[in-house]
Amino acid sequence: MTNRLDRWADPPLLVLASLADEPKHGYAIIRDVSETMGVRLTAGTLYAVIARLEAVGLIEPLASADRRRPYQITAAGRAALAEQSARMGRVASLAQARLGERYGWAGA
Amino acid sequence: MSRPVHAGPGPLASLALMLYPPAWRERYADEVRALLEEAGSGPATAASLAVRAVPAWVNPPRHLHDRGARMRASVATVLVAWSALTGVGAVFVQLTQLQGFRAPGHPLVQWCYLIFDAALAVSVLTAAVGGVPLWLQMVRLARRERRRRELAWLWMAVVVPAGYMAAALTALTVVHDPEASGSWWFAGFAVLGFGAAGLASAGPAVALKRLAPGGPAVALAAAASGVAAATVALAGLASAIAAAGLCLWTTSFAGYHHAGLAWAYLLFVVTIAATATISGGRGVRATFAIPAR
Repeated sequence: MTNRLDRWADPPLLVLASLADEPKHGYAIIRDVSETMGVRLTAGTLYAVIARLEAVGLIEPLASADRRRPYQITAAGRAALAEQSARMGRVASLAQARLGERYGWAGA
Repeated sequence: MSRPVHAGPGPLASLALMLYPPAWRERYADEVRALLEEAGSGPATAASLAVRAVPAWVNPPRHLHDRGARMRASVATVLVAWSALTGVGAVFVQLTQLQGFRAPGHPLVQWCYLIFDAALAVSVLTAAVGGVPLWLQMVRLARRERRRRELAWLWMAVVVPAGYMAAALTALTVVHDPEASGSWWFAGFAVLGFGAAGLASAGPAVALKRLAPGGPAVALAAAASGVAAATVALAGLASAIAAAGLCLWTTSFAGYHHAGLAWAYLLFVVTIAATATISGGRGVRATFAIPAR
């Protein structure tokens, strides 16, 4: 059975999280997301996400000397990421607390 | 840490990139190629790119949306498709209505004839209302800027149909009874007619791309092309149902004209009507869209 809980790995959120520390180009985003979050983004998914995030002003392209154009998160993107992270953090804290109370789960 | 180096995006991924809209390719294709040169690509990457091309067409990112270019592209596409469907419609009328083909006991075919005639008339009227002001604007623009080639492309919309009609009338004068001369005359007129319709519609379409006019005339033409596409699609649907009904219920029709030809006709009509409707719909959406930031 497919584990539908992997829906947390929302590609736009992963890309925003990847760009939160510094600007990155496409390949750097794929590597960062894979190494730090364990999710493999394909080129098609990544550029669909980049196009959408750029369209709504959550990321912006930077000037580049070569074809590997880097992107940086905007103020609106930081706000959106912070809001979504806080919401996910509340869900995570609640889930961990209840698992601990009921089943003695001490965390992964 | 050294990066893996790959030769290039690979033929499959390159093909997949060609599936994207021109504006998307212009903005992102080089970046994707650079990414694939580093990350490598295989059939899965190509499939991912190909699948993601569909939403890029259906719902293009707003910052890539060029309203004027979209409207002009829709007008050009619908014009060419409309000419082809109108030509197909003329052949359909000649082979069915004017030959008196009816399906005994099945009023559906007769209704389809009526819907076809009405829809085609509305589409011609709409195309004229939307197309003539834009054509006149482009003629003025081409004259003002002394663009002789574009002017020649524009006049093809008038000269080629007039030439075709003159040639057809001359031929009919010389050959008094073309029906007695066999079906070659009809096939010849039809093929020449499609050629003339293609040239007559391609001319303004090329001029539209090269001159890139703007303003209310383009918006009117884009809106009209959407209506013309919808009505001509309705006419195409009616003719398709009528042709299928004749094949099923009128044995003399199917026996005389071969069912394979009728199915090829249906496929042709459906393909062109779908192209016109989708492109016309996108043009109408661009016409009434709020401009991006």
